[in-house]
Parts: sequence; structure tokens; C-alpha cells
Amino acid sequence: MIKMNNIVKSFGAQTVLSNVSFEAKQGEIFGLLGRSGAGKTTIINILTNQLSPDNGSHRISVSLHETGLMLDEDGLYDRLNCLDNLNVFADIYGISHKKSSEALERVGLGSSAKKAVGQLSKGMRQRLALARAILHNPKVLFLDEPTSGLDPSTAQGIHQLIQGLQKRGTTIFLTTHNMDEAVKLCDHVLLLHKGRIVEQGVPAEICQRHGAIKTVPDLEAVFIKMTGEGLS
Amino acid sequence: MRGVKAIFIKQAKDMTKNFSVLIMFVLFPVVAFGMTHFVARGNDDISDTMFTTMMASIFVGMALIQSACTVIAEDREKKSLRFLVIAGVKPLAYLLGIGGVILTASVISSFAFGYIGGFGQGEFVAFMAVMISGAVASIILGATIGIYAKNQQAATGLSMPVAVVLGFGPMVAQFNERVESVVGIFYTQQINVVVNDFSAGIAYPLSVIWINIAVLTVLFVIAYARKGLRD
Repeated sequence: MIKMNNIVKSFGAQTVLSNVSFEAKQGEIFGLLGRSGAGKTTIINILTNQLSPDNGSHRISVSLHETGLMLDEDGLYDRLNCLDNLNVFADIYGISHKKSSEALERVGLGSSAKKAVGQLSKGMRQRLALARAILHNPKVLFLDEPTSGLDPSTAQGIHQLIQGLQKRGTTIFLTTHNMDEAVKLCDHVLLLHKGRIVEQGVPAEICQRHGAIKTVPDLEAVFIKMTGEGLS
Repeated sequence: MRGVKAIFIKQAKDMTKNFSVLIMFVLFPVVAFGMTHFVARGNDDISDTMFTTMMASIFVGMALIQSACTVIAEDREKKSLRFLVIAGVKPLAYLLGIGGVILTASVISSFAFGYIGGFGQGEFVAFMAVMISGAVASIILGATIGIYAKNQQAATGLSMPVAVVLGFGPMVAQFNERVESVVGIFYTQQINVVVNDFSAGIAYPLSVIWINIAVLTVLFVIAYARKGLRD
């Protein structure tokens, strides 16, 4: 579904990705874990053709228009209301405006449809950005730190939505530096540190491999063991 | 076509709520109206159309360039453009959608200028022809600056000197023949040329404007080829 082969990317003298290779299978939640600056967003930018790698190859088995994208910088139109923001994309995709209302309901923003985006809280903006990403029922969904800076209950709501999307067959590629989130959601994770892959696999299995199972698999312990550094 | 329509609708809705852009389309006709009625009328030394042509030139040269470049720069700065491109909007569709809204708004403002100027039917048509052609030139120039500007602040910094020369050049030309000969090559000056002597026709002024448009289109293509619309 999503494949990267020996990707190398540098910005000036700084190498941000070194021989990164992985494969995400259809219908799974694939987690990319690492500290800020590890190269997670660069991988999403390369996969969505916003950046070209210096070396290596990458492939997504669907067209870019069949993907959904949610980034830290949400790109929402502050002066338009929530519904109009989604209707812009409904018009681009050639789908009914009814889908915009449905997407707002799915993320719990149905009652805020007519509210200007500039007046929304960060959590509401995140949910609206997610509604825009899922508006056209994408086959692949890229989520860059989807719950970053959110309160636990809003984050919980987004987790449920992500799990619901997976049940409908959507492949989800998410980046996070929240290990609990990764253990809870991901079928497969890749630990990235300073642009290099330090470990990858099924979360419970890699924790087992590194003796990091307490009551629940402890990915953070694996990360510290592999990199010598914590996440925060 | 779907992309152009989506961007046009988005921009039209956004512009009605964007006071800093909207004001430029209202302010210049209002100032022209006020100056014409309270200063020019009844004053034998000032032509009745002087303030209309002066404000119309400044409007085409300043407001339209500023509008086009700040709208594009804002979409780049806030990363909105990135989502549009990933959703399948082609850069040309984006620029046509944005340019279409600005052109539509400028036609409405131009109608207001034409009404304030009190032109006869044939004169009105000639005036609208140079205003709309001038608007096309300014939108292309604004889009070129918007492509180069990384954010709105940079867009204002880059566009202001250009806009001052194009917008105020024709005004200074009304009082200085040397300046008039220099700004004669600018599309904004052609509004003065047409209004000052409607009997001379619009073939020459329009050809000057369309040569300007051709040159600006070449600049736009070069800018787009080098920078594109990536943020």
C-alpha cells in the first residue's frame, strides 16, 4: 500500500532521513514514532509529493487524490465557517455538500457548522482538519500528530474515530511522539531517531523483544534503550 | 473546471469577510465620488473627470496588485494551498479562480468609477475596456509577486514600490510632461490617455495595455517555472 525504499533526504548540510525503508499494508494503522525533528513530517511530505527525496524510491498504491491529509499546520480558512471550509473541498472532489455536514457530525462539530473557523479552539480546529481529511472517504489517511496539544477527552474521541476508519478499511499512516497512543492504535510501528530507523514491527512484539513489557507494552522504554534519550 | 469553480466560490465568500481586501474595492470609488462632487464640480480649473481618472489609475495600479498578491501569499503562508494541490487543484485552476474573483470585483468598482465620471454611452464602453484590460494586467502582476512572496508581509513589501510607481505615476504625469512621457509605457497611464481624449479612440491605449499584459505574462511564466506554487 505504502512503500519507501532507502530514502535519503538532506536540507543543506543536515541529513534528515538516512536510508529509510518500510512498507505499510492495506487496512493497517502504521505508526511513525520519534521525537520532534526525527524526520516524521519529512516522510509524510515525501509520500504526499510535497518534497522530493535526494535518493531512494517511494510508492503509494492509490492516487494522491484518494488520500486524506491532516497536518500540524491545518491550512483552514479562518474567515469561512466550518461548513464552508469543507464545502470548498466537496466542490473540488465533486461530492455532495451533504457529505460535508456528515463529516462534521462524525467529528462532533455538527452544532458548530456555521461558526467561523477563526473562533474555534485548537481541539475544534484539529477535529475540523480531520473532517476535511476524511470528507471524501480516502483509502489512505496521513495524520501528522493528530492529538498533539489536545485534552485527553478530545484525544480519546479522535482515537475512536481513527479506529472506526480502520474498521471501514482505511489505511492510516500516523506520526506521533506519544508512545501510549502508538501502542493503543497501531498495528505496526517504526521508531525513528535523527532520521534513522532504530526499530520497527508490531508494538507488543518489539516490546517483548526488548524486555519492555510491564503491565502493558512499554514502547517508551524501547525508545530509550535504542536511542539513549527520552521522548520529552 | 471543477477546481476553478471551487476556488472562485471560496474566494468570493472569503473576500466578503476580508475587510482589508474589500475596503480597497470600495474606498477608491468613494474617494473619487467625494472629490468629484465636492471639489471638481463648480471649479473651472479642474476637469469633472480628473479625480475619477486619478483614482481609477491608482485603483488599478495599487488595489488590484495588492489584492492578488496578498491573497496568494496568505494561502501559501497558512499552508492552505498545500491542501488544495493535494486535493487535485491544478495551479492554473487556482490562479484562475482567485483572479476571476478579483476581476469580477474590479468590474463592479469600474462601473462605479464610470458612473461617477458621468461618461456617455460610447465613452463608458471605452472606459470599461481599458479598466478591465488594466485589471487583467494588474492581476497577472500581483500573482507574479504572490508567487515570489513567502508570506503576506513580504508580499506587501514587494508589491508596494511597484504599486506606487504604477498607481501614482499617472497622477504625477498630469502635472509633469517628462513624467508623462515615461509613464506612457505603463498600462495604468492608458486610463488617462483614453479619458483625456475619447475622440482619439481606444486602439492605441488598448494595444499598449495588451503589450504590457504580454510582457507581464512572460514574467509570470518565468516566476511560475522557477518557484511554482509550492509553500
